[in-house]
Amino acid sequence: MEAVKPLSSPKEIENLRQRIRAKRKTGKPMISVCASAGCVALGASRVLDAFKAELEKQGQKDKVEIKQTGCLGFCEQAPIVTIYPDEICYFKVRPDDVPEILSKSIDKKQVVKRLLYKDPVTGRRAQRLKEIPFYKYQLRTLLECNSKIDPKKIEDYIALDGYDGLVKALFKMTPQQVIDEVKDANLRGRGGGGFPTWLKWETSRKATEEPKYVIANCSEGDPGSFMDRSLMEANPHSILEGLIIGGYAIGSHEGYIYVKDEYGLAVENISKAIRQAEEYGLLGENILRSGFSFKVTVHKGAGAFVSGESSALMTAIEGNIGEPRPKYIHTAVKGIRGRPSCLNNVKTWANVPLIILKGSDWFRSIGTKCSSGTAIFSLAGKINNTGLVEVPMGTTLRDVIYKVGGGIRGGKRFKAVQIGGPSGGFIPEQYLDLQVDFDEVANVGSMMGGAVVMDEDTCMVDAAGYFVDFLLDESCGKCIPCREGLRVLSKTLNTICEGEGTREDMQIIEDVAETMRDASLCALGTNAANPVLTSLKYFRDEWEQHLKEKRCPAKACKALTKYCIDPKKCQACLICLRECPAEAIQGEKDKVHWIDQERCTKCGVCYEVCSFDSVKKLSGEPVPSPPPKGMRPIRKRGG
Amino acid sequence: MVELKCQHCGYRWDYRGDNEYYATCPRCRYKVKLPEDKAREVGRRKLSLELRRNLLTEKQPTKLLGVAGTVNRVIEEFGYGKNMLIQTLLRLQRSFGWLPREMVSEVSKQLRVPLSQVYQIATFYKAFPLAPRGRHLIRVCMGTSCKVRGAPMVLDKIQRTLKIEKDQSTPDGRFSLETTKCAGCCALGPVMTVDDEHYGNLRLPDVERILSKYE
Repeated sequence: MEAVKPLSSPKEIENLRQRIRAKRKTGKPMISVCASAGCVALGASRVLDAFKAELEKQGQKDKVEIKQTGCLGFCEQAPIVTIYPDEICYFKVRPDDVPEILSKSIDKKQVVKRLLYKDPVTGRRAQRLKEIPFYKYQLRTLLECNSKIDPKKIEDYIALDGYDGLVKALFKMTPQQVIDEVKDANLRGRGGGGFPTWLKWETSRKATEEPKYVIANCSEGDPGSFMDRSLMEANPHSILEGLIIGGYAIGSHEGYIYVKDEYGLAVENISKAIRQAEEYGLLGENILRSGFSFKVTVHKGAGAFVSGESSALMTAIEGNIGEPRPKYIHTAVKGIRGRPSCLNNVKTWANVPLIILKGSDWFRSIGTKCSSGTAIFSLAGKINNTGLVEVPMGTTLRDVIYKVGGGIRGGKRFKAVQIGGPSGGFIPEQYLDLQVDFDEVANVGSMMGGAVVMDEDTCMVDAAGYFVDFLLDESCGKCIPCREGLRVLSKTLNTICEGEGTREDMQIIEDVAETMRDASLCALGTNAANPVLTSLKYFRDEWEQHLKEKRCPAKACKALTKYCIDPKKCQACLICLRECPAEAIQGEKDKVHWIDQERCTKCGVCYEVCSFDSVKKLSGEPVPSPPPKGMRPIRKRGG
Repeated sequence: MVELKCQHCGYRWDYRGDNEYYATCPRCRYKVKLPEDKAREVGRRKLSLELRRNLLTEKQPTKLLGVAGTVNRVIEEFGYGKNMLIQTLLRLQRSFGWLPREMVSEVSKQLRVPLSQVYQIATFYKAFPLAPRGRHLIRVCMGTSCKVRGAPMVLDKIQRTLKIEKDQSTPDGRFSLETTKCAGCCALGPVMTVDDEHYGNLRLPDVERILSKYE
């Protein structure tokens, strides 16, 4: 690679951009493979290697360009391959498909029909991303570039107007104007809280102490969300640019990016992005000779959910254990080492360059009156199209789940959607027409974040217990309401799930939850009861069934369910009998099997392996008694 | 060395200590105030002593061996920063697999951080195992999405196949089994990772096939 000369004026970066664009305009076909963690898990790297090997074999290495991009969002259909300039998208590509794609799409300009997206309802095939329902109903402002950028190459980002926002901020605006622009845009904290970003910035700017710090928070600990990770992996420069602009506005010369250590690829990409930006003179001393200096350090978190809380994150950066502290004085005034520290989520930072570049009016034109811009969701759980979704604020949940998400898996019934992880709550069916924005979601007792869809097979008591157990594990133990309250909640919920709960238990849960909300030190404790309270509020009848009838309607609580085999459906195939770890299934070849209830550990393996749907789950109903020995019906296989 | 005279008993002696304000008379234990010029001399000597001590410890010319050497290389890279304690431990853990007692106490010695504080961090965060691990680390994701899609059954299956419980290692040192809160691939649940390789959309029969790949 040629040595890079640091850029020293806005004109030089514009020239560079034109040069890169001119180089790209040759019309050379390009194959872009999504290489985010999700696609790699399903074999994207093997596909990429196959493309390289095949091109090498055919001697076309110089004629076709191969690009590794970040997450395209449609993880359900991974690995995804896009062929430019025709923008043909192929889904679920296997290494064996590579020769066919090359010979047809590249050489003959044809389309490999069987790899195109097939609409599950109409059966129609769609060629381009825009034609696919999953993308049609989205508005991708932040994620749009993901498919065009190789996260390891700064040139790709610069070619797409990258760092233009920084140039505009540094040379045409004063720091106060930057803050005013963000204020006009009404940008709110994308981490979930929805706190006005400009207010944080202005508080930090007005604080007198020096030095000041800016921090990007990518400590995404809540199970079920991967928005920050995908953004960091796919487009690290947008976060970096936002952070530099923020630093300029606040008057800070030092930034931190806090990333979870588990996110290996994200750490790698952002570190590389920082190095490249430094080489180009877009970071470091005297950026583009504007007189503004800024340096960024990546700080790896060692895996603690509570470290995502602002004051805890700052103590972690200081090198101590990530415990929160009381915030009588806001961290924007006294944060890292007692200095003003402005912390925002990575999605907030990534929005900043767009606002500066396109103006606050553009940003305000998207979304609702109180929450402008777009919302990024990770859609997961029992839904057809899992993946990363960006919709304007104010889109209804029903649209997100049914239009973008393609409805519930296996034609089951929707039960609830859990938004915001352990700090959020469950949203039931009657609120599906809720328009997603910070205030509306908060009104129903939840908060913005990753969405996990649950169907009728999920028990809401069990699900609430899952989040409580998660938080119990993650609570730092500094304040008593959170530490002890969670312990009581967990214990009580477990007794209910085991069918030994009483009516008083519900009262205990409500009391403890309320105390925790009022008295806990940080947001982990105050929001910890959200899942339990929303579950109790919207699914009270399900709780009552657990308490009174000792039965779990979703058949998910182990202690309240029993497995049995339907003798009419059993084909006596011996599969469940062989797989059963407890040897609880009795029977022999050609004789209908039955489950010995005393031995059964309720692991569910038989339910999973049976291909004839003959294993049933029962809850609250009596188990049919097995036919006496010797009278066991005989059934020939396939008969 | 400065000569002092006790105002109380008249005893004269050579003071070798480094307190710039008071010295204690060796004979009568009376506090003797240092005259200004002598105090200055003591201060000068103290400074040079400190400088020499710093030179000796921080830029040690002798090569450290074994655990001390490994730890020293990492600490040197982070510039002896005490705020880099977590990063230091993370790096050590990455390269060694777990944190043996010797390593932790070595970090405490070289960074001059109390051992209790190092252990506080090592036990607070999830990323630091303090017991040896098997050659391959299996992590089963127990995130919300993976859970509703059947991760507990996958975990059950692995436990049965390897005959170990979660957070244990197989006796032959081949596998360690852990659960993680979220691997961040919620769309592909249930997910497990072996070393750094992800396996998504798991079905129960896949488990044995995947495990047999690792020796």
